[in-house]
Amino acid sequence: MTTALFAVAGAVAVAAAVMVVTSRRIVHAALWLVVTLGAVAGCFGALHAEFVALVQILVYVGAIVVLVLFALMLTKAPTNPLPNLTTARSPFAAAVAVVLALLLGSGVVFAFGNQKIQPVPAGSAETIGTSIFKTWVLPFEILSVLLLAALIGAIALSQRKKED
Amino acid sequence: MPLVLPLLLAVVLFCLGVYGVLARRNAVTILMSLELMLNAVNLNLVAFDAWHLDGLATGQTLAVFVITLAAAEIGLGLAIVLLLFRGHGHVDADAARDLVEHEESPT
Amino acid sequence: MIATVWRVAGVGFSLLLILIAGLLYGVAPEQTSFLNSSVGDLTIGFAVRTDDLTVLLLAVVGVVATCVQVYSLSYLHERAASYHALVTLFTAAMATVVVADSLFLLLIGWEVMGACSYLLISHYWERRDARSGAVKAFLMTRLGDVGFLFGIFVLGVGAGTFRISELDPAQISPGVLTAGTLLLLVGVVGKSAQVPLQTWLPDAMPGPSPVSALIHAATMVAAGVFLIARLYDVFSASATTMTVLAVIACVTMLFAALCAMAAVEVKRVLAWSTVSQLAIMFSALSLGTQEGRHAALFHLVTHAAFKGLLFLCAGVLLHQVGSAAFVVLRRYTRRGKLRKTLRVTFVTMTIGLAALAGVPGFAGFFSKDTVLEAAWEHAHKDGSAIGWVVLASVGLTAAFTAFYCARLWLWVFFRTPALAGAMGAFEQDDPMADLEDPDTSKLKEAPWLMLGPLVLLAVAAIGLGYVDGLHLNWVIALGSTVLVLFGVLPAYSLWSRGADPRPVVLEREFGMDRAYHGLFVVPVRWLSKLSVLGDRDVIGAYVRAVGRSGTLASQGFRLLQTGNVQTYLTGAVVGVVALAILAGVIAR
Repeated sequence: MTTALFAVAGAVAVAAAVMVVTSRRIVHAALWLVVTLGAVAGCFGALHAEFVALVQILVYVGAIVVLVLFALMLTKAPTNPLPNLTTARSPFAAAVAVVLALLLGSGVVFAFGNQKIQPVPAGSAETIGTSIFKTWVLPFEILSVLLLAALIGAIALSQRKKED
Repeated sequence: MPLVLPLLLAVVLFCLGVYGVLARRNAVTILMSLELMLNAVNLNLVAFDAWHLDGLATGQTLAVFVITLAAAEIGLGLAIVLLLFRGHGHVDADAARDLVEHEESPT
Repeated sequence: MIATVWRVAGVGFSLLLILIAGLLYGVAPEQTSFLNSSVGDLTIGFAVRTDDLTVLLLAVVGVVATCVQVYSLSYLHERAASYHALVTLFTAAMATVVVADSLFLLLIGWEVMGACSYLLISHYWERRDARSGAVKAFLMTRLGDVGFLFGIFVLGVGAGTFRISELDPAQISPGVLTAGTLLLLVGVVGKSAQVPLQTWLPDAMPGPSPVSALIHAATMVAAGVFLIARLYDVFSASATTMTVLAVIACVTMLFAALCAMAAVEVKRVLAWSTVSQLAIMFSALSLGTQEGRHAALFHLVTHAAFKGLLFLCAGVLLHQVGSAAFVVLRRYTRRGKLRKTLRVTFVTMTIGLAALAGVPGFAGFFSKDTVLEAAWEHAHKDGSAIGWVVLASVGLTAAFTAFYCARLWLWVFFRTPALAGAMGAFEQDDPMADLEDPDTSKLKEAPWLMLGPLVLLAVAAIGLGYVDGLHLNWVIALGSTVLVLFGVLPAYSLWSRGADPRPVVLEREFGMDRAYHGLFVVPVRWLSKLSVLGDRDVIGAYVRAVGRSGTLASQGFRLLQTGNVQTYLTGAVVGVVALAILAGVIAR
C-alpha cells in the first residue's frame, strides 16, 4: 500500500520536476515546483514521516514558493513563453546530469539493492519534538542563530543604499 | 518497500536539480532547481531514517533542519537576485559576467 | 695644463733613460730578482739585469724617445696629454723589456707595447684608415704574442726556470728547445713585422709620424731583434729555428724592398724599408755566430738613428705640406719650392736616405758591411749554406734599397729634367693634379723644436758608423758600393726620363693583403654571419617560441574564463563526476 502510494507520488514528483527545469514559462515553472514539493511531501508521508511532510508543505509550499513568486514579480519576469530560458550549454549540462544520475543510481543499487524498509510508524510530531529538544537541542539553537544571520543578511543585501 | 525506490527517486530529483542549475538562464529558476536538490537530500535522509530506525529519529530531525536551512538559503538567494536585478536590469545568469577579466592588450 | 705636465714628464723620462744608460755604462753585469713566488717546482717572479746589451738598448731608446718627445712638442697639438702619456708608457714598456731578466717581466713590457702601439696608431681616431690600421696592428701582433706566450711556457718549464740568465741550452732537451724557440719566433715575427705577419706595419702609417719613428727606430719592432739577441745562446742552439729565421729574414728583406720600390707615399716607402732592414738584422742573427749578433746589434743602432731621422723628416713634410704622398709633394717640387724652403729638412733627409741606402761614409754603409762581412766569414770559413743565402739576399737587398732611396729622393725633391715642370709619372692617376696648384708662398720651414732632433739624429746617422772602430773589409766594401751604384743608376735613369714603372704585382704588395682578406677575413665574416644566424634564428627562435607559446596558451586559457558562474560550476561538477568515476575504478 505504502509502496504504491510512494510510487505514485514519486512519479508525480519526477514529472513535475522535469517540468520545473524545462518549462518555457517561468511562472509555470514556479507552479510546477509547488507540485513537485507537494509530491515529495506525499513521499515523506508514505515513508511514515508525517511531521516532515507537514513541515515540507508549510515551509516549502507555503513560504518558499510564495517567496519565489514574489521574486519573479519583483524582477518583472515575463509570463509569456520565452525561447531561450536555457543556455547554449544545456545539452552538455543534460549529459553531465545523466552521467551523474547513472553514477549515483548504480552506486545506490549496488549498495542497497536488496534492503527493505519496515513499515513502522515513527514520524509523529511527538517523536520528532522529543528528539529535537532532547538530543538535538544544540544544533537547533545554532540553527536559530543561522536563521537570524540569514535574516540580517537578506535585509542588508536588499537595502537600498543612500546614494542609489 | 525496497529502500532503493526512494533513493532512486532522490537521485533522479537531484540530477534534475543539477541540470537545472547548470542549464537554466534565469537566476530565480536556478534557485528553484537548488530547492529540488535539497528536496532530494531530504528524501534520502527520511528514507534512511525509516530504514535504519535508530530511535532518535535522526534523519527526520535533520530533514527538518535542512528545510529550515533551505528557507534561510532561499531568503538570501532571492535577496542576491534582487540585487542583481537592481544592478543590471535583468536576472540572466548567463549575461552577468562581472567576474570576467577585462580585455587588456597583451604585451 | 695636464698636457704640459705630461710633456714635461715625457721629455724628463726619456732624458732619465739616457742618464741611466750613462750611469750603467761600464758597470759590471748584475742581476736582481724580486717578488718571487714558487709554483710547484718552478719559481715565477720578476728580475732585472744590467749588461752591455741593456745599456746599449737603453741608450738607443732614450735618445730616440727624447728626440721624438721634443719633436712632438711642436708637431702635435690635439690630444697632446694622452699622446705624451702613451709615448712615455711606450718607452717605459720598451725599457722594461730591455732590463728584464724574467721572461714574465719581459712579456709584460712586450704586451704593454702592443697595447700602446694600438692606441698611438689610432691617435687620429676620427680617420677610418687610422682605426683599421690600429686594429690590424693589434690583431697581428696579438696573433704572434700567442705563440710568444706558449714559447715562454715551453722554454720555462723545459728549463725549470723563467730567468733569462739561468736559461742554459745544454740542459734543455733539443725537442723542447726547438719548439720553444720556434714559438718565441712567432711572437718575434709578429712584433717585428716579418713575413708572413708583415702587413700591419705599412698600414700603421696613419698614426702620427713621431710615433712611427718611435715604433720603427727604437721600441716596437726593435724588440724582436733585441729578444733574439738576448736569448742568443738559446736560439743559436737550435739549428732548425735558425734555419727558419734565416728563410724568413731572406724572404722578408727582398719582399719588403720590392714593395718599397713601388710605394707612392713617403711613409709607406719608409715602412717597407723598416721591414726590410729588420730582416737584415734577423739574417745576421740567423748566422748563429757572435759576429752575426754583433753585426745585427750594430745595424739596429744605426738603423734606429737614420730611420728615426727619416720618419721625423717625413713628419716635417706632413706637418708643413699636409701630405707625404708623392703626388702632393711633387706639386711643390715642380715649382722648385720644396728643396729651397725646407732646407734643413732636405739636408737631413738626404743624410738619412744616404745612410739607409748604404752610401759609403754614412752609418748604414758600415753596419750593413758588418752584416755582409759576418755572412761572408760564416759562408767562407764554415761553408754554411745559410751564410751564402744571407750574403746573396743582403747584397740584392742593398741594391734594391739604393734604388728606392734614390727614387724617393729624386722624385720628391727634384724637378724632372725630361718633363721640365710638366706632369710626372705620379700625376697620371690624379685628375686634379694640374688644376689644383698649391699656394707655395705659405710653405715655411719647420720650427727649430722640430729641426733640432733632426740635426741631432743626422749627426748620429753619420757618426755612429765610426764608433765601432773602422775595420773595413775592402773587398766587401767595394762590392757593396758597386751594388749601391747598381741600384742608384736605374733609379736615376728612370727619373731623368720622367718614368716610374710600377709593376702591378709590386703595387699590390704581392696581393698579400688580398690573400689574407680572402683566406681569413672572408671566412671569419661568413662564420660570424653564420653564428649570428644561428643565434637569431635557432637559439633566439627557441626563446621566442617559449614566449609565444606561453602567450598562446594563456590566450587559450583565457577563453575558459568567461565570467559566467554557470560555466565554472559545470566544470566543477564534471570534475567531481570524473573523480568519482576514477575513485570507483581504482576501488575496483
